[in-house]
Amino acid sequence: MSTTTQSKTGPRKLAFGMPTPDEIAAGGIPGLSARPKLPVDLMDKLNASELEEVEDIELPTEPMQINMGPSHPATHGTVRIVLTIDGETVRDSDVQVGYLHRCFEKEAEYATYTQVFPYTDRLNYVSPLLNNVGFALAVEKLLGIGAAIPERAQYIRVIVGEISRITDHLTCLGASAMEVGGFTPFLWMIKIREWLWELLEELTGARLTHSYVRVGGVSQDLTEDFIARLRATLNRSLEPLAECEKLLVKNRIFRDRMDGVGTMSAEDAIAMGWTGPCLRSTGVPYDVRKDHPYLVYDRFEFDVPVGSVGDNYDRFAVRLEEIRQSMRILEQAMQQIPPGPVLLDEPRICMPPKNAVYNTIESMIGHFKLIVDGIKVPPGEVYSYTEGGNGELGFYIVSDGSGRPYRCHVRSPSFIITQSMSKLILGAGIADIIPTFGMINMIGGECDR
Amino acid sequence: MAESPSSPIKSSIAAALRETVSPPPPPAASPAAPSAAPAGSAPSSAPPQSELCTIKLDGREVQAKKGANLLEVCLAHGVDVSYFCYHPGLSSPAVCRQCLVEVVGQPKLVPACFTPIADKMEVNTATPRVLTIRRQMLEFTLVNHPVDCPICDKAGECTLQKQYQDWDHVGSRSSIPKVHKPKMQDLGPHIVLDSERCILCTRCIRVCDEVAGQKQLTMAWRGDREQLTVAPGHQLDNPYSLNTVDVCPVGALTSKDFRFTMRAWELFTTSSVCPGCATGCNVEVHHAQGEIWRLVPRENLQVNKYWMCDEGRFAYKDVRHKRLTSARIGAGRGQPAQITSVDKAVAFAAERLERLVSSGGTIGLVYSAQTTNEALFALSQVAAKLTARGASVRAYVSGAAPRPERADNILRSADVNPNTAGAKLLAGVGAGDAKALLADLTAGKLKGLWMVGTDLPLGEQAEFEIAPLADGLELLICQAVHDSPLLRRAHVQLPAAAWAEVDGTFTNAKHMVQRLRKAVAPQGDARAHLELVTQIAKKANLAQNEKWQVSARQAFLQMVAEVASTLPPGADPAQSVAAGFAAADWGKEFLPVQLRFANSRG
Repeated sequence: MSTTTQSKTGPRKLAFGMPTPDEIAAGGIPGLSARPKLPVDLMDKLNASELEEVEDIELPTEPMQINMGPSHPATHGTVRIVLTIDGETVRDSDVQVGYLHRCFEKEAEYATYTQVFPYTDRLNYVSPLLNNVGFALAVEKLLGIGAAIPERAQYIRVIVGEISRITDHLTCLGASAMEVGGFTPFLWMIKIREWLWELLEELTGARLTHSYVRVGGVSQDLTEDFIARLRATLNRSLEPLAECEKLLVKNRIFRDRMDGVGTMSAEDAIAMGWTGPCLRSTGVPYDVRKDHPYLVYDRFEFDVPVGSVGDNYDRFAVRLEEIRQSMRILEQAMQQIPPGPVLLDEPRICMPPKNAVYNTIESMIGHFKLIVDGIKVPPGEVYSYTEGGNGELGFYIVSDGSGRPYRCHVRSPSFIITQSMSKLILGAGIADIIPTFGMINMIGGECDR
Repeated sequence: MAESPSSPIKSSIAAALRETVSPPPPPAASPAAPSAAPAGSAPSSAPPQSELCTIKLDGREVQAKKGANLLEVCLAHGVDVSYFCYHPGLSSPAVCRQCLVEVVGQPKLVPACFTPIADKMEVNTATPRVLTIRRQMLEFTLVNHPVDCPICDKAGECTLQKQYQDWDHVGSRSSIPKVHKPKMQDLGPHIVLDSERCILCTRCIRVCDEVAGQKQLTMAWRGDREQLTVAPGHQLDNPYSLNTVDVCPVGALTSKDFRFTMRAWELFTTSSVCPGCATGCNVEVHHAQGEIWRLVPRENLQVNKYWMCDEGRFAYKDVRHKRLTSARIGAGRGQPAQITSVDKAVAFAAERLERLVSSGGTIGLVYSAQTTNEALFALSQVAAKLTARGASVRAYVSGAAPRPERADNILRSADVNPNTAGAKLLAGVGAGDAKALLADLTAGKLKGLWMVGTDLPLGEQAEFEIAPLADGLELLICQAVHDSPLLRRAHVQLPAAAWAEVDGTFTNAKHMVQRLRKAVAPQGDARAHLELVTQIAKKANLAQNEKWQVSARQAFLQMVAEVASTLPPGADPAQSVAAGFAAADWGKEFLPVQLRFANSRG
């Protein structure tokens, strides 16, 4: 409402209490006259760049220590950053992880191999199925049954894994956009993520903590119309995804926080153990799916996008492109997926069918022993690595021949990349911390395993 | 840990479950060997060369004693031959046919458990023929086995389950209905039989015949209707009947006490020693959720072999019931005492003790034979300090009354105190017995009395009657596990932890110092006897931070060193208790292992 309303008592103030033009003209704006007057020479300067030229106004500053986190509304991840700031500039920082510590590695020592899957769901909890697959592959490598996994199960693992990669990247990009003020991309990306998660929920029974993969395959076959619905969902998500891209890529506010901020060189990235989209943003085309193909990744055609500068924008762009590449892989996997069993037929590793369990003592015992004692994995140790949402997700397992891991270590990409956080934000402004942290994409569950 | 982390880890668990603290008295040549030797292996001292023979076991040359049991030789060399009816502590009837192996030159497969080895024998245990027969035997055994695992007490520690999963693991091929037999038959005071689950291995029959010496069980009927039974008009009531439940490879025989209380695989196991009598059977304490659910025997060939008596199995109930759980202080003479914190009660006891020492007067110290060596050693240290302060101290050894009717030549001893030998040694040569204590109380010779364990060789009624004797005392300090009439008369009543709640050692009738391990947390405010003695001594300025006050282990080490220093070198543990102490070893510390991962049962 921009006009005054007419009434019997004459002109009225605007509904929200702004002074009328008449009042402004009369100079009677309440409060204005009470403000202290700034030096005239400063008032004459029209914009910030001119303001900086004025030497007189440089205020004396001294380093100040402040806490950012552990529960900061703008970091997606529970982390405490102890900052030493000089004005707006970060002079030093101490990034402290561990606030989401849930003892994955220790818990795994007290659980059978199958019981570890729910724990892996909670590592990187926006792409649980990639963790499921990573752990299953490690145990299978130790069991020496990697080649025997039914082909259909391998395709299903690729499909659910790539869906998870998409949801992982969507969460990272959407949340980061929101944290620098772009709320719309966040809502749209989360909407796409939700479509995909609904699909996974239909398949696995759980929206987030799927526990869908098993040693020897997957727990159940794809639902009847899964392929068709996945195809439809991917098609449907192309448009909002493109819109998000448009909203962000040419957005000045977004680009200011992304371009040239948090720059990492390829050498440093390798030295710091970076992997995944963050490493690729520095120009190193390392992708476990390409360089050390596992499952059936060698049968798909896809590109490994790389950046050139290694800044936040490159990390953003690499992830955005990876969403498209994952869709490409999904498209090919949906075409190639063969019919067949989805679980290995080996009673000492995989559960017998329920009907047999309830009706025959043999299968009952088999079921019982697998549940109570766990899968007996031969003694030995193994390191198995896959491309997780944030980089190389490795599981190192030592078996003592019993039904549970003697030691289970996870090389979680987040943890290793987060160690560079201090380096990335050194000398940056406070406002740069949030987008840099967002593009590192630290996931507390994975970092604090 | 590059090559194989399995063996050290597994064997450490196995050792935890088998380990004996004190080396065996008779040979004493190689103290390390017996605890490490697997079940049923050849004796540790190597037999002379002439008695050895060489056989080829799965293509590998193996040396063993001539005539040794082939199955035992296989197991000793890590060759897994499945079996049901064989048990290292029993004779081998070869009825289950599960351990059939191939001996080159023999037309048929032979049961390993029934075959003595001879020189140059060639044995194959893993040829396709053997594996097929092994699988077929299991299939045969499972034909009539009910689908009971979800409701079966043995599930999780069942030998049949284990053998199936290890050697058969294929689905059922049978479509005919199963033969049904009686379920839930009451065999005796402690045992219930489910005949459908029985696989007819006859281990239980042999336990009754060979261990308990009472022929109470037998097989009746034939073929697939064969079943285990007791003779008409009899029941399975021998004092070792619950061993049949342990040896049963399936859930046919179940303990009424344990039935449907706890799933076996969820239990944690801690090795300990039975507190029931002077034999000191080695046991596994099975516990979960802070409570003990059962005791089972732990193999120790020098003490209890593989067995324990039924009474001993119920020793855990004393840990649960009628416990003194909070400290009380009062004016004595049966007047109501006030509940207070243990710390306050300890301070009160110390203050009164100091006063008594300075006023002069004889102080009696009671060494209960139900208490660990470490607590009693601490008390003996306190006695020395009191004497040094000029107090007159008298020591008494007390304990529960002997029960001659339960003594047999198998395991049960008439002395129902687990630590009589240790208590007598630690109380010193001049110590009186419970009779002397009562006499001194009646005569009013004592001004103060400090009882570490209030066990007296009296029934509850008799104890109630003698309790007023304590009214003549200026100070009565009682550290007790259970409530009792005498305790009610005490000025200071301190709750003590029970045997399963402390680390320590008991000395059995054979002078073997055996290790107890803490399985569960003490109930209520209870603290270990040793801790209570330590704290009273501290508060009363008798001893500050001495070695025995640090921990049970330190007390043990000091005790062993002091006892050993009084001995000539090479003393025989069979001859004197002190030599038994000198040979004792504290052993390693272990975390309790959950049964499903312990690999020890089934």
